[in-house]
Amino acid sequence: MTMRPLRIAPPNALAVTQPASRYLVCEECDAVFPGRSVAADGVLRCRRCGATLARGHGLPLDGQLALTFAALVVFAIASVSPIVTLDLKGIRSVATLAQATLLTWDSGGHLVALLAAATAFAFPLAVIVLRLWVLVPLVLGRPVPALAPVMRALRWVLRWSMVEVFMLGVLIAVVRSAGATNVVLGPGIFAYTALTVLLTAIHAAGLQGLWRQASRP
Amino acid sequence: MSDSYPVAADLGVAGCECCGLVLAATGGAGAWRCPRCGFALYTRKPHSVQRTVAWLLAAVVLYLPANLLPVMGTNSVLGRETHTIVGGIIELWATGSRELAAIVFIASIAVPLLKIGALALLAFTAHRRSRWRQRERAALYRLVETVGHWSMLDVFVVVLLVGMVHFGVLASVEPEPGLLAFGAVVVATMLASSSFDPRLIWPHADPGRRPGAHG
Repeated sequence: MTMRPLRIAPPNALAVTQPASRYLVCEECDAVFPGRSVAADGVLRCRRCGATLARGHGLPLDGQLALTFAALVVFAIASVSPIVTLDLKGIRSVATLAQATLLTWDSGGHLVALLAAATAFAFPLAVIVLRLWVLVPLVLGRPVPALAPVMRALRWVLRWSMVEVFMLGVLIAVVRSAGATNVVLGPGIFAYTALTVLLTAIHAAGLQGLWRQASRP
Repeated sequence: MSDSYPVAADLGVAGCECCGLVLAATGGAGAWRCPRCGFALYTRKPHSVQRTVAWLLAAVVLYLPANLLPVMGTNSVLGRETHTIVGGIIELWATGSRELAAIVFIASIAVPLLKIGALALLAFTAHRRSRWRQRERAALYRLVETVGHWSMLDVFVVVLLVGMVHFGVLASVEPEPGLLAFGAVVVATMLASSSFDPRLIWPHADPGRRPGAHG
């Protein structure tokens, strides 16, 4: 028994450039199904392992562009607005993500501060910017510059973007600090809520549709 | 027992795991890349089980300091206190926020343990080329992938509390070393689950042979 991975190689270079679009291959179990179009709100599941094979184009490209642009605006608001304001005997403390991260860094939690800044700020921002990078030329009917590296980077940052977890973290931090102080919710918390909803709606469109649209001749 | 589904290798095709493009392919030596996205194509991720187990061991080792060391310190005029992950959950429960205590318990205690246990099971059965409950194992893998990042919750809570509660000598919050270990557990388990190749749940005969021909 060998556990060595099998690499595939084509007999010649031509074979590589021949997409076999009459098939759908399950990414999670390798089962092959005949390729077919999916309804706009439809999801095609693998009959063997249950993984999602293909999704319909739930949202047209200009709709995706509008939502992603809205997400960028909301992201900007969320980043600069106070999430909460605390009041302890007349002393006020205004919390934003940037300020919380910097204070964590100053208190010696360097790596933790970097981890939070990356997953709650840098990666979500990258998700929005990279999507715009692909969507804007597509909607204008132009070729997307550096399509492959941008899409691969997008796939990677999607995995590490954690706005929705941060959102829940805000809620729990507010409850845990509410005992001793007077807590006033700021615009930031509402902006993060809106951002969570927008990003979830955009993620639902998936990357496969973008790939198909962008590589259409 | 064998299932009758044709798999990619039998039909001479391969699906790109990055962009989903299906390509005509044949077995042989060497490496090639997907013409659409440039991602390296493998029938299986290289050394998937070994890398999964390596990240899992890292997660198990870090799990102890993550739960035994304090993750947060609070300073007030009454003195200094430190809090562990479990301590924070008990505190939430005691102050009446039972729903939130349950959420934090699930995200911080249950999910990391579930991930470590589930990935250990998946790696072990994949190594054995087991055909035991394949569909359930595939669903388990998807569950681990879906809930994985929610364990980052406590890292965000402490960072936010550090930012929110800073009133000089009256009250302040500081991160403690346990928090770094806890964040590292989350990252290690996420890397473990992304190292695991779910196609290993479905071992099949060598490329070119009929499915089911393997004993």
